[in-house]
Amino acid sequence: MQKNTKVSKGGLVTRFSRQKRISKVLIITFFIVYTLFTLFPFYALFVRTFVGTKHSTDLWLSPPPMEEASLQYQWGNLSVFYNLDLDKVKADLGIPDDAYIQPRWSLERIAKEFNIPEQKIKDYFTPYSVYSGWIVLLSDSRFWPALLRTILVTVISLMGLNFLSILTGFGLAGLRRKDQVIVFNLYLLSAVIPLMMILLPQYVIVQWVLNLIPGYDVSGSSARNLSQLVAIILLHVKGGALGTMIYTGYISTIPKDLEDAAEVDGANRLQYFRYIVLPNMKIPMATLTVMVLPSLWNDFMGPYIYLDTNNTTLLPLIQSYTGTYTTNYQVSYTGIFISVIPLVIIYILFRNWFIRGAMSGAVKG
Amino acid sequence: MENIKKYLDRRATRRILIDWAFILPQLILFVSLTILPFFIGLPMVFTDRLSFVDKEAEYVGLDNFTKAFTEPGIKDEVLPALARTARFTLLNYAMVYIFGLTLALLMYEVGFKGGFFTVIYLPMMLSGLAIGFIASMLFSRSTGTANLLLLQLGLIDKPIDIKAASGIDFVLPLLSGWRYAGFNMAIFLAGLLSIPTDTIEAAVVDGASYLERLIHVYFPQMVGSFIIATIFCLIGSFNIFDELVALGGLYGNQEASFLSIIFFTYGFQRGRLAVGLTMALQLGIPLFAIGLLLHRIRQRFQYET
Repeated sequence: MQKNTKVSKGGLVTRFSRQKRISKVLIITFFIVYTLFTLFPFYALFVRTFVGTKHSTDLWLSPPPMEEASLQYQWGNLSVFYNLDLDKVKADLGIPDDAYIQPRWSLERIAKEFNIPEQKIKDYFTPYSVYSGWIVLLSDSRFWPALLRTILVTVISLMGLNFLSILTGFGLAGLRRKDQVIVFNLYLLSAVIPLMMILLPQYVIVQWVLNLIPGYDVSGSSARNLSQLVAIILLHVKGGALGTMIYTGYISTIPKDLEDAAEVDGANRLQYFRYIVLPNMKIPMATLTVMVLPSLWNDFMGPYIYLDTNNTTLLPLIQSYTGTYTTNYQVSYTGIFISVIPLVIIYILFRNWFIRGAMSGAVKG
Repeated sequence: MENIKKYLDRRATRRILIDWAFILPQLILFVSLTILPFFIGLPMVFTDRLSFVDKEAEYVGLDNFTKAFTEPGIKDEVLPALARTARFTLLNYAMVYIFGLTLALLMYEVGFKGGFFTVIYLPMMLSGLAIGFIASMLFSRSTGTANLLLLQLGLIDKPIDIKAASGIDFVLPLLSGWRYAGFNMAIFLAGLLSIPTDTIEAAVVDGASYLERLIHVYFPQMVGSFIIATIFCLIGSFNIFDELVALGGLYGNQEASFLSIIFFTYGFQRGRLAVGLTMALQLGIPLFAIGLLLHRIRQRFQYET
C-alpha cells in the first residue's frame, strides 16, 4: 500500500515536470518567432533604402542589384525618379550651369549636346538605381548640419536635465517638509498632463520670450538660430516626473550618518553636495540618461514648431522630403534608417542599462 | 536655552532657503513651460482669437465650447477626428495587453531572458515619425513590403491600404503595440516579479489551473501595473502626432487627421486658434482628471500592500 502511493506520487511529479518542460520549449519557440517579428520591420527598412521608386512595386527581401542606366532616360524623369539636385548634376558632368536642358531630352541627346562620353554619363547615373536615397541624403548640404544640431541638442539637453534634476532631487531629498512634498507632487503631475493640451499656449510663452532677444527678428541670424536651439533645450530640461522621482529617491537613500559626519567636519550644504552627493550620482544618472535619450533624440514636434527650416534637426529635415505633391519615399526611408542607427548602436552597447532602467522605471511608474 | 532655540530656528530657516536655492532653477522652467501654459490658455478660450499674432480678439463667452460640435465647417472635421482618436485609443489599449501582458506572462514562466528582452525593447528606439514611415513602408497599397509579402504567401488576397480608414485603424495600433511591447512588458513583468512567491506556490499546491492562478493570484496583485500601463496608454494615444505627420496628416490625408492634428492645424495653420485651444482643453482636462484619479487609486493600493 505504502509502496503503491510512493510510485504514483513519483509518476505525478515526472508528468508534471515533463509538461512544464514542454510548455517551456513552446514559450521559447514563441519568443524566437516574436524576435523575428520584431526585427523584420528593421530589416525591411534597411532593404527599402536601396529600392527606388521604379522597383518599389516588387517584393524585395534583399537589396536589388544595380541596373545600368539607359541612355534613353529622360532628363525630367531622372529628377523625379531620383530626387536629383539638377544644378549639382550639371556641375558633376561638366555642363555649364546656365545651359538649358529640356525635360524631355534623353541622356543620349545630352551626351551629344555637351560632348560628354556616353559611358561617363552611364556610369554617373548607374549607382542611382540602388543608392539614390543614400546619395541624395548624404550629399544634401542640409544633412550634416542637421545631424550636428541633433547631436548637440541631445547631448546638452541630457547634461542639463541631469544637472537640474540632481539639484531638484537634492532640494527635495527626504520629503520632510510640506513645501518639498508639494513641489514633488507638482512634478509627478506632469506625467498626466497631456502635451497636446498645453502645446498651443506653450508656443505663446516661448515666442514671447524669443521675441525679447535682440536680433531674433532677423531671419537666418546667428542670434535667431541659437536662441531657437536654446528654446528646444529648455523644453527638454524643464524636468518632469521621471527625473525628480529618480533623483529624489536616490539622494534620500544616502545615509544620514554621512550628512552628519560632513556637518561635524564643518562642511556646508554646498560642500556636502559637491563632495558627497555628486560623486554618488553615477547610477541614477545612467538610469535617467538611458530612459530619456530616445525621446530627446527622436523629438520631432519641438524642432518642427520652433526651428526654422534652415536651422533644423534631423527628423524635421527627413519629414521635409515628403510633401503635398511629390514624395520620394526612398529618401525618407533612408533618412529614417540613418536617424535610427546611432540610437540602436548606443542601445546595443548599453543594453543592460536600458533594461535596468526600463524595469526600475516600471516599478516607479 | 532661549539662545539654543533661536539658533535651531535660524538653522532650520537657513536649511529651507538653501533647499529652495537648489529647487528653483528647474522649478522656474517647469512651472513656466508646463503649468503656466494652462493658465495662459484659459482666458483665450473665451475669445475669438484667430492666430498667435491676432491682436483684435474679442470676448465671445462660451461660444467656442459648442462650436466644435455644432458649427458645420468645424463639426464635420472634429467629429470624425474624435471618432478616429477614440478608435485608436481603444485598439491601442488592447495592444498593451496583447503585446505587453502576454509577453510578460510568458517571460515570467520561463524566467527573465535578457537576450529576448533586448530585442523586444528595441523598437522603443524608434521615433514616432519612424513608426509612421514604417507603417507606409509596410502597408502602402501597391508598394508596402508587408503587403507584397503577405500577398505572395497567400495570406491575404487584397492589400491593406494605410491610406484608407481600415488600414490606419488596424496598422497604427499594431505598430504602436509593437513599439511599446518592451515598455509595457517591463511594467507587467515588474508587477509579476513583485508578487510574493509563496502565494503562487500555495495556489499551485492547491491544484489551481493556470487560468485560476491568473485571475485569483496574479492579476489582483498587479493592479499597480495595470494602472500605470493604462495611464501611459491613455495619455500617449491622445498625444499621438508624429506618426500622423509621417502619414500625411498635415498634408491633406483625411484618414490621418486625428484630434492632435486638428488642434495643431487650427492653432498654427488655419486661424482657428481659440477653437483649437478650447477643444484641446475640453478633452485634455477630463483626461488629466482620469489620470489623476488613477494615480490616486494606485497610491492607495501601494500603501495598503
